Amino acid sequence: MNIPKHLEKVREVTITKEELIDFETKIAYEYNEGRIKAAIHLAKGNEDELIELFQYIHPEDWVFAAWRNHYHALLHGMSRNDLYKDILDGRSMSTSFKNFYTSSIVGGIIPIAVGTALALKLKRSDSKVWCFIGDMTYRTGIFYEAYKYTKNFNLPLQFIVEDNEMSVHTPTNIAWGKKQDIIPDDIIHYKYEMSYPHHGTGRFLNF
Amino acid sequence: MKLQYKSEIIKSMTWLGQKPDTIFLGQAIGYPGHAMSGTVEGVPTKKLYELPVIEELQMGISTGLALSGFVPITCYPRFDFLILAMNQLVNHLDKMQTMSKGEKRPKVIIRTSIGSKTPLDAGPQHTQNHTEAFKRMLTEVEVVLLEEPEQIFPAFEKAYSKKGSTLLIEYGEYYSTK
Repeated sequence: MNIPKHLEKVREVTITKEELIDFETKIAYEYNEGRIKAAIHLAKGNEDELIELFQYIHPEDWVFAAWRNHYHALLHGMSRNDLYKDILDGRSMSTSFKNFYTSSIVGGIIPIAVGTALALKLKRSDSKVWCFIGDMTYRTGIFYEAYKYTKNFNLPLQFIVEDNEMSVHTPTNIAWGKKQDIIPDDIIHYKYEMSYPHHGTGRFLNF
Repeated sequence: MKLQYKSEIIKSMTWLGQKPDTIFLGQAIGYPGHAMSGTVEGVPTKKLYELPVIEELQMGISTGLALSGFVPITCYPRFDFLILAMNQLVNHLDKMQTMSKGEKRPKVIIRTSIGSKTPLDAGPQHTQNHTEAFKRMLTEVEVVLLEEPEQIFPAFEKAYSKKGSTLLIEYGEYYSTK
């Protein structure tokens, strides 16, 4: 994983890899027991990268993530109880608290992240915006516009591409012909392998 | 006959421009380019934020600004162009209150205009009126059609003072006829 040299560690992450995995395992259990009447997207396999990354993210910074957002919310300070309750209430795909927001539309958070970064710049705030996207989203037109705008106007917005080489259940290099583009150095990029299906646990229906 | 429609819009923009938290954004807002450009002549230049033609990104930028305490007046000079921002408008701005359990309710003032057909007809891609369709699609964003001059200032005043976002629809033709 490439961390741009200008970034500094600003927070001690106390939640452990085992605690993250344990949280998702409990959610998977509740889902399999039929106690979650909504879609969920579970993470596993990117704990080390996220624990490393969130040491660079100040608690006052804004974080935007997508549908697979439980780890990000926990690492940015959402309490396990609150997140657990929200997920059981069917809100896994719309996790939100304080300076943390998500969208389950591909690329949906990107423009909002740009606007938040513009606001911080206009207010001369020291805070930053962090926007987590997947390798499919990275290849959308809205990302291209947003990245160009962010770079040209030097907005305090850091993009992170979490690359599982999948576009839902289709390999991204199949969907796009091939992954011929190179991700610029100023975008943080890491690869990981999915340990859960795109949504759910593989036990139930597709939605 | 004294024309009032455009002057009421200018009055509204000038009033909004005096508020400390407002910011005006869109393509040809800081520069001349379309009829709407001329309605922000009373707004301090430092509040006019020029954007490229990036309709969807513009709506998300407006939402992000509002999340951080600004009241953006985001301008789409034709209703036909606002269609390109539908994902951010319908799936995001309009759903944010529900998705955040009421915690996040950004205030965005969206301006758009039904393109004029006289004296020049701008054609089918520049003159559509989608008011009823937008009313059916939007649940949290209030939709207001500005038909009469006396409606205009109170509508913008309400859009600024109330919670949540408002879409205000103007008639381009009335700038020169009403």
